[in-house]
Amino acid sequence: MSDNHADLIVLGAGPGGYACAFRAADLGRNVVMVDPRATLGGVCLNVGCIPSKALLHAAEVIREARDGDNWGISTGKVSVDLNKLRAKKDSIVEQLTTGLVGLAKRRKVQTIRGTAQFTGDKSLDIDGEAWTFDQAVIAVASAPVRLPGWPEDDRIWDSTDVLEMREVPKKLAIVGGGIIGLEMATVYAALGSKVTVIEFMDQIAPGADNDAVAILNAALEAEGVTIHTNTKVTEVKATKAALTLSCEGGFEGKIKADVAIQAVGRRSNGHLVAPEAAGIEIDDRGVIPVNASCRANVDGIFAIGDVTGNPMLAHRATHQGHVAAEVASGHAAALDTTLIPSVAYTSPELAWAGLTQAQAKQQGVTHKVASFPWAASGRNLVSGGGDGLTKLVYCPETQRLLGATIVGRNAGELLAECVLAMEMGATLEDVSLAVHAHPTLSETVGFTAERALGTLTDL
Amino acid sequence: MSDIIAPPSVRALARQKGIDLEKLAKDLGRTSIAREDLEGGKPAAGPVGDTSYWDVDHSQFGPVTEEPMSRFAQVAAANLGAANALIPQVTHHDRADVTAIEALRGELKLDAQARGVKLTALAFQAKALARALREFPRFNASLSPDGKTLTLKNYVHIGIAVDTAHGLMVPVVRDVDQKGLWQIAAEISDLASRAQNRKVGPDEMGGASMTITNLGGIGGIGFTPIVNPPEVAILGITRTETVTLWDGDTPRPVTMVPLDLSYDHRVINGADAARFVSYLAGLIADPRRIMV
Repeated sequence: MSDNHADLIVLGAGPGGYACAFRAADLGRNVVMVDPRATLGGVCLNVGCIPSKALLHAAEVIREARDGDNWGISTGKVSVDLNKLRAKKDSIVEQLTTGLVGLAKRRKVQTIRGTAQFTGDKSLDIDGEAWTFDQAVIAVASAPVRLPGWPEDDRIWDSTDVLEMREVPKKLAIVGGGIIGLEMATVYAALGSKVTVIEFMDQIAPGADNDAVAILNAALEAEGVTIHTNTKVTEVKATKAALTLSCEGGFEGKIKADVAIQAVGRRSNGHLVAPEAAGIEIDDRGVIPVNASCRANVDGIFAIGDVTGNPMLAHRATHQGHVAAEVASGHAAALDTTLIPSVAYTSPELAWAGLTQAQAKQQGVTHKVASFPWAASGRNLVSGGGDGLTKLVYCPETQRLLGATIVGRNAGELLAECVLAMEMGATLEDVSLAVHAHPTLSETVGFTAERALGTLTDL
Repeated sequence: MSDIIAPPSVRALARQKGIDLEKLAKDLGRTSIAREDLEGGKPAAGPVGDTSYWDVDHSQFGPVTEEPMSRFAQVAAANLGAANALIPQVTHHDRADVTAIEALRGELKLDAQARGVKLTALAFQAKALARALREFPRFNASLSPDGKTLTLKNYVHIGIAVDTAHGLMVPVVRDVDQKGLWQIAAEISDLASRAQNRKVGPDEMGGASMTITNLGGIGGIGFTPIVNPPEVAILGITRTETVTLWDGDTPRPVTMVPLDLSYDHRVINGADAARFVSYLAGLIADPRRIMV
């Protein structure tokens, strides 16, 4: 045995990795956590969820200030100091990542800055140092997909570059109308960019409910965002003056942009840890397959988070992290749910979990749908909210919820009630009889259930 | 999503206890599982009574030791409690002359040795019961839990209650009406010995037309077994003995086996039970009649 030995080693300090390391430490394990970044927190804290939500908050503040006129509140022209905004965002990130260092210390989790690669099924190399371990958890996340055939150019950004806020481009093209692309459109449209979103599928936010997406689509267009669906970018040319994107399909023609963002998805980073040296199975998308207990095919090796494939979401990684820590420590645990909520922090927010109407239809699941338009929500109107919709998919026989989609202000927060209801097997009646405070946006969930039951008096 | 509804905390507890929720839900006849269902030991249903006076500190009366009831025993207890509470049961007592069967077993002893099969009285009784069930279809039936439908079975499977170290098990011999005595005897012996080692598969239990619970090898002159639902009757057998019958004024010793049939009175009335057992006793007394 070499001098460097870990009882449990966690590769990656993102929301999956640190959740796993901390949970394992709380279960009495000696834990080592390795990450190449200077700070803990992984993609989520450093270049993902947290900084992007800081910018989205700023975008919301800009819009609120601008819309103040409607309420007789005038602030004059809103100006943005990009350096200050960036510094504010960075300070929040720093506060959170530093907080993690404290949490790790308190649990006596040893953290190492470095890149780990397997050299055997019980050994690793960390930047030239040999390590052995009893158990390992792979939590090395994912990276933005780079489209082939694009030129090398500083004006082509991925989701990480976007958050650096080097400038506010006059004309911004975003290739990919998924959650990340739409959030970036929301931020830069508020900052003053003329944004065009190009999506290959027939709607933005592919996979989300189309009624809800229509509302988000309209809101983005009202903000001046141009959206081209069913459109493929065939060629990108970089000249000194601009980037030119040639498009085919729903939109035929050329789009000139000062900056283009690639937001066409993320690819698992499985290959980064040299999994083959340990005999760990990996597929050609970089995904390390695991079972519900997060075990990879090699005994004593686990994988969690984005490296295990879709959906690549921090909250899934966190839950898997706890599962892996518990299973590795001899407890029976598993991620035994398919209810992983999706949230786009756009304006309005779009959030969903469980089956959408289209999925239920496609899978042949007996279902019915009920919805409540937010134009009838007092709380939405008095807080200056725009159009919104709460929509529930349910089983007509058992009256149990199968899925929920919410578009509107704070949709991401409101979805939590629906997820809990689905996990508990709640029926429409349960949801409608639980008293929702008035006036709140959460009422719309109760109203939707009442509408399905025919007891609604607010429409 | 699974069709079983259980809150996340219940799913986690089931995983820790190694309980298969889908199977449990099926056993309970439900689609939703609550925390209480995983804790076991309580009857699924039945009249509620005050049991607080059972809760006694026995050590105040003398030295005691405690042992936990196994999960197997707890499930059996819950099922027996429910069967006893929910089914109005009557037990009919009779006896059958086994002189002919004993003579036949004696004649076939060498054959049995050659075949390596012990031709037991139980095999004859199972065969006779199968014939009787063909003759009285309402005894080969099950009542739906809501009491609205009687399902009549066009097959004859006989459950054999086996006393094992870990509790009572009931493996089932299939299609007894179509099998010969040698085969029935061999299958009963095989299932009983595997039951002792808990090596009986789930597909070898359940689905019986009626169960036989045989205490003949131990003793007794009669008992009142509890019906094993969804079956509608159970046949108890105790020790064969020689009794005195009177042919007019002349006493005659006859070897007879006691038969105790407990039945679900919702499905079977007393007169039918008497006819059924009388017919069964006739078959046992003259096994040739099983064939004709």
